Amino acid sequence: MLLHVNPASGVPTYLQIETQVKHYIAAGALAPGDALPSVRKLAADLRISTNTVARAYQNLERDGVLRTVQGGRTYVAENPGSFLKSERIRRLRPYARQIVVEGTQLRLDPHEIMELVQQELDALEEVNERYGDLDRKSR
Amino acid sequence: MNDMAIWTENLVKLYPGVRAVDGLNLNVPRGVAYGFLGRNGAGKTSTIRILLGLARPTEGRGRVLGFSVGREQVAILERTAYVSESKALYGSLTPRELVRFTRGFYPNWSDEAAAKYSRMFEIPMDRPFAKLSQGNRTKVYLLLALSQGADLLLLDEPATGLDPVVLDEFLRILVQDVIAEGRTVFISSHQLSDVEQIADWIGLIDYGKLLLEARLDDIKSQFRLVTVAGNGLPQTESPEVLLLASEGNFHKYLVKKNADAFAAELSRQGATVAEVSPLGLREIFLALVRKEDPCTSGNAGEMAAPVSSFLS
Repeated sequence: MLLHVNPASGVPTYLQIETQVKHYIAAGALAPGDALPSVRKLAADLRISTNTVARAYQNLERDGVLRTVQGGRTYVAENPGSFLKSERIRRLRPYARQIVVEGTQLRLDPHEIMELVQQELDALEEVNERYGDLDRKSR
Repeated sequence: MNDMAIWTENLVKLYPGVRAVDGLNLNVPRGVAYGFLGRNGAGKTSTIRILLGLARPTEGRGRVLGFSVGREQVAILERTAYVSESKALYGSLTPRELVRFTRGFYPNWSDEAAAKYSRMFEIPMDRPFAKLSQGNRTKVYLLLALSQGADLLLLDEPATGLDPVVLDEFLRILVQDVIAEGRTVFISSHQLSDVEQIADWIGLIDYGKLLLEARLDDIKSQFRLVTVAGNGLPQTESPEVLLLASEGNFHKYLVKKNADAFAAELSRQGATVAEVSPLGLREIFLALVRKEDPCTSGNAGEMAAPVSSFLS
């Protein structure tokens, strides 16, 4: 798994890992049941403390994104979206607000902002389809 | 306090004319990678020398791995590996002889580890230490420290003379062979970039005092730079809010906690909040050190230029 962290950024390192894992799952590069590298392996690869990787994995587990089985191996959870819809919406709302504030400040009209979101959704779907094809071919 | 890898209370070290360490309270949890950061002369090396029993504190006390500094020094030294800032060893001995000399002092010494690291670091094992380059001297020191099976590694400027490839390899070894095993690494440095990648805890020291000690990711998720415009804004500071700079109606605050609440309060007072943005460790370090500097503190106008130039 190709994760990358930038220690000099103001974003906490564990959050950088969480965001990237979620992105890989959303894009279909990681599928339910896929194994993640061990805490020790990922920490050594990234040259960061094992405590930091453990924190990221714990948070992802708490959010229902990953699950750790006995023996310590960590996998992508079978149904990452198992939260109630109201909870999922609550978590996304701050990002929606940020898009609206930034978009308005950049003097984009509502239609243009919506268009932008739609383009990102389309791009994600395209990536998803491509990984789906690869998956089918490899089986 | 005994479950800490390092704990000190009101540690003071006076040298003629200098308060090298000035009431230092350290709390280093076990199993973390702790970056002990400060500029040259801040008191980092003096602190480490006290912890190792190489210097006697003028005041205060401390514990290392639960053992009392000064009174139980042998127990501390058996369990602690030390890489000194000067990287000076017996010049006429070769690395191979230094290994043979050192191993007897440490009950948990591993010959396999020593052989592994000498290969990894490509150390010329049969050339006298005095004839080695600075980088190779540092590598010999790291080899000796890593092979001791120590519970705590005290590394004083461990990156001296290492090229980026060897430094990267050293960081990988520290994570894999030391931190992943639950052992503690205490790295002192004035080079933030060497440390901020691997460290999960940070202590900032300046003029012998600790300015900040916390988990690095917690610092990053809480500290914010708040830029506002408005008249008659609070010049007063609290432990959680530092006024970094003022230029006309513009003010920059470093807020250590609850930045959004602080920004909302300023908005209620009629100010325009331009930005609430996260900060890197480098920016936080410079802001805190400049703030504590007796030459500049209490003079926001004089600080405005340098602070705004590195924050912008």
